[in-house]
Amino acid sequence: MSLTLNERTRFMLALIAPAVLALAFFQVVPILVGANTSFRDWSLHDPQRTWVGLANYAHVLADREFLRVVLPNTFGFMTASVACSLVLGLSVALMLNRRFAGRVIVQSFVLLPLMVAPVIAAIMIRWMFNDQFGVVNAALGGLGIGPISWLTQRWTAFLVILMTDVWLWTPWFALILLAGLQSLPPEPFEAAQIDAASRWRTFRYITLPMLRPVIVVCVVIRSIDAFRTFDIVWTISGGGPARATEVFSIYAYVESFQFLNLGRGSAAAVIGAVTIVIFAMALYRILNRYVEVSR
Amino acid sequence: MSVPTAVSAERHAAGFFEALAPGGRRVLFGLAAVAICLLFAFPVFWLVLTSLRPGFAVYYVHRGTDFTLDNFHDVLAQEIVLKALFNSFMIATLATLLSLAVTATSGYMLSRFKGPIPNTWFSLIYVFRCVPYVSWVLPLYFVTRQLGIFDTYWGLLLPHVAVHICFFSWIMKGFFDGIDPSMEYAAMIDGCSRWGAFWRVAMPAAIPGLTALAILCWLYTWNEFLFALILTSHETPIITVVMAQFVHELGMEWHLMSATAVVALGPALIVTLFGQKYVIRGLKV
Repeated sequence: MSLTLNERTRFMLALIAPAVLALAFFQVVPILVGANTSFRDWSLHDPQRTWVGLANYAHVLADREFLRVVLPNTFGFMTASVACSLVLGLSVALMLNRRFAGRVIVQSFVLLPLMVAPVIAAIMIRWMFNDQFGVVNAALGGLGIGPISWLTQRWTAFLVILMTDVWLWTPWFALILLAGLQSLPPEPFEAAQIDAASRWRTFRYITLPMLRPVIVVCVVIRSIDAFRTFDIVWTISGGGPARATEVFSIYAYVESFQFLNLGRGSAAAVIGAVTIVIFAMALYRILNRYVEVSR
Repeated sequence: MSVPTAVSAERHAAGFFEALAPGGRRVLFGLAAVAICLLFAFPVFWLVLTSLRPGFAVYYVHRGTDFTLDNFHDVLAQEIVLKALFNSFMIATLATLLSLAVTATSGYMLSRFKGPIPNTWFSLIYVFRCVPYVSWVLPLYFVTRQLGIFDTYWGLLLPHVAVHICFFSWIMKGFFDGIDPSMEYAAMIDGCSRWGAFWRVAMPAAIPGLTALAILCWLYTWNEFLFALILTSHETPIITVVMAQFVHELGMEWHLMSATAVVALGPALIVTLFGQKYVIRGLKV
């Protein structure tokens, strides 16, 4: 590039300059600081912060906890959460796309989770699933089912976390898919109606393929977010019982702040970041190709 | 293998819905609508109910009939809660304005130009969008300390803007892609500068999208917890952190936490109820 930028390039750079500056100071610099930490023995008993190279990475990658529990949990949680909220969100969006009495009321109810702070929702869910005083066990007790200690067993705790996440994110899917549905052209649907196609077939062969680009974007964005979930898992189970519901954000946080080994925690965070970047790129490629083929 | 089963399942599903009489179908639809409402409303309903019970009655919320408004009185009498509500409101509003200002230009650039610079910027955005919060929120604490803006408005505002840059630039690109650029070219031929064309022609056309994004951004910032937890302290209390502090190992003050949460729900409720129309309209690209 020549030193004298032409007018077009100057305009382009001026347009992105504020964003680049904010990104550099508040994302790139912190990430570099974190990456620097991950190569050092940054724990309480080593005030010198010795450079240890890849030792922290080797330790995390050899940790059975990380490989056998944290990774499957993270990917399992991501898949289950995105799949459930996509299906639910799409159903809700299809429902709201029709005209019926009370549509606005239903829509307002559906949007409720968007207004609640996720951390408050998580605290509330923890309270509802409390084994002694929670409303869920009270209701189940009324049906004659004994008290279930939801948060002290791996799978029930996982289920509660998953339900919370689906509850929080279904409205988001519904909102974006509804906007997508409303911007579809009406002609193919009229043609299908003239041909007396059933509702299911109309949905399967017209709505779904036309909505696919929106679905792809939703799935990619949500998968990335679900991969790095922190607050609701931390509030509901804290990664427990006995680290059984730890996802990778929690693992990095626990290593950093509870075991006070910042180096190892940062290494785990970097490993997670690299994993999700590769995963997200692959996902984007695959889904994008899928979209083009189906067109 | 899977093709015949898929087809038969399809036929089965189709048959099931066709077989229902129109009346039956409407009842089913109504039931589904009610079920969805209940499902989404219940935790919020429970929150409101808990906020109305006196502290001792929280443990048998489903029985008992003691209701009180004292919790709200107690909560709103605390100076920190009022201060936190004000701070959260200011941060959410300022972060929304600042994020939109920064990402509108960035999204416009991504949409209108081709070449190595936009491509690099887009890839950077995509990569940084994926980086987990955990790996930068902690170093961010050191960075804001170093810059001397820890526990101030700027110290929380600027990281929030940085969070939004990636996603919003992406969405903004979509908005501007949906706007025909020929009007801008016409304006430029008529003597408008590039900035003039952006500001006077493209921006007004993008207002529905901007409104939608502003509403979502405001709600997100209002409800954000992790950044507020790590980047603020006593000087700048934030409402989500204050709420969560009512429930900790030492004292489980569910009733006060719920009352604060209900108060905090107010502005969000207003924004969502009045904004939903604009959000759906604006996201229709």
